[in-house]
Amino acid sequence: MDHVWSWIALGPLHLPISRYLLMMGIAAFILLVVFPLVLRSRSAALAPYRSMIEMVVLFIRDEIVLPNLGPKGSGYMPYFTTLFFFILVMNLIGLVPYGSTATGNWSVTGGLALTSFVIINFAGMREQGVLGYFGHIVPRGVPGWLYAPLFVIELLSLVTKTVALCVRLFANMVAGHIVILSFISFIFIFGTLGTGVGLAVSPVSVGLVLFSLLLEVFVAFLQAYVFVFLTAIFTGAAMHPH
Amino acid sequence: MEALIKPEFGLMFWTILCFVLLTVVLARTAWGPLMKAVDDRERAIKNDRRAAETAKAEAEKARAELEAKLAELKAEMARRLEEARAQASREKDSVIEEARRSAAQIVESSRREIEAQKLEAARDLRNKVAELSVLAAERILLKQLDRRANTDLASRYLSELEKEKPELSLGSN
Repeated sequence: MDHVWSWIALGPLHLPISRYLLMMGIAAFILLVVFPLVLRSRSAALAPYRSMIEMVVLFIRDEIVLPNLGPKGSGYMPYFTTLFFFILVMNLIGLVPYGSTATGNWSVTGGLALTSFVIINFAGMREQGVLGYFGHIVPRGVPGWLYAPLFVIELLSLVTKTVALCVRLFANMVAGHIVILSFISFIFIFGTLGTGVGLAVSPVSVGLVLFSLLLEVFVAFLQAYVFVFLTAIFTGAAMHPH
Repeated sequence: MEALIKPEFGLMFWTILCFVLLTVVLARTAWGPLMKAVDDRERAIKNDRRAAETAKAEAEKARAELEAKLAELKAEMARRLEEARAQASREKDSVIEEARRSAAQIVESSRREIEAQKLEAARDLRNKVAELSVLAAERILLKQLDRRANTDLASRYLSELEKEKPELSLGSN
């Protein structure tokens, strides 16, 4: 849950200064300062990190973006790589003690999904023109009387895809935390039966929490990948309607 | 629980702002240089591979050329060797022939010489035998000639002479 420390008013906007904003800021700082430094340095000590980042970027390019978007996909590469690393770093910061998971808030994931929505439709319209894009939104070979309802459904599906992106990431990140909290709560729940019982349960709980944490590390990578992968698929589908 | 699902549009605004700025800045500072480096490397690898392939083809060609030359040299060597062997055998034959011929010649001339010397020796021997026999006969004759025989002989000579030259006859007869 977000902890809002203060509010600032910017014109009609009422903006919070909060814990998630701080986490997002840290993530942005890491991406803005550490990544360029690592990627541009020629030092041998940083070479492993450089090749790690490079490997991920090449994976995004060769396995996610180019197969879905085609040769024109390289123009969208900055968006997809930034999206992946931003989500990944925010997910991972949430696992650090005293950190909190900005992606465990659906305003944040909603914001990201909104940018995906914009990119998907922008890419589709750029590729086929505005009229062509909306003309191809309904699959070919549909009977005439079905066209109107399908058009509405397809328009809705554009929105639901985005909402699904948002909810998927948010729910995955929150679920892990809730599971960990539950395991830790076991200790205190059993502790009410007696201190000895609580102490006896605690190793089991800690073991389970450790396991969940490892699972969360995996999920952090997986969900960043899934978000980017699905966005790429939707973008590709919007660009090449077949 | 309500706070968990309550949308906070301010945060959403921050997220979008943050993300868009990140994308714009990182495209220039991080992904641009990275992709450029990657592209350069890929191009360099492609060039290197092409260069290596041409070098390999050239090496292959040079090897084939060398092999052909080597085979040629080998054939040439074998040919020369064969030639030399034939020549040697020819020469050997001719030398042997020559030796045989000269040996035959020597034998022939020696035989002729021997023959000639044999003849000469025989002639000498005959002469010597004749001389010796004449001498021996002389001796024998000298011994056998006694007074009567000599008288007979002399009288025979004398009668012969008288017949031939009657003017000199001594009257008898």
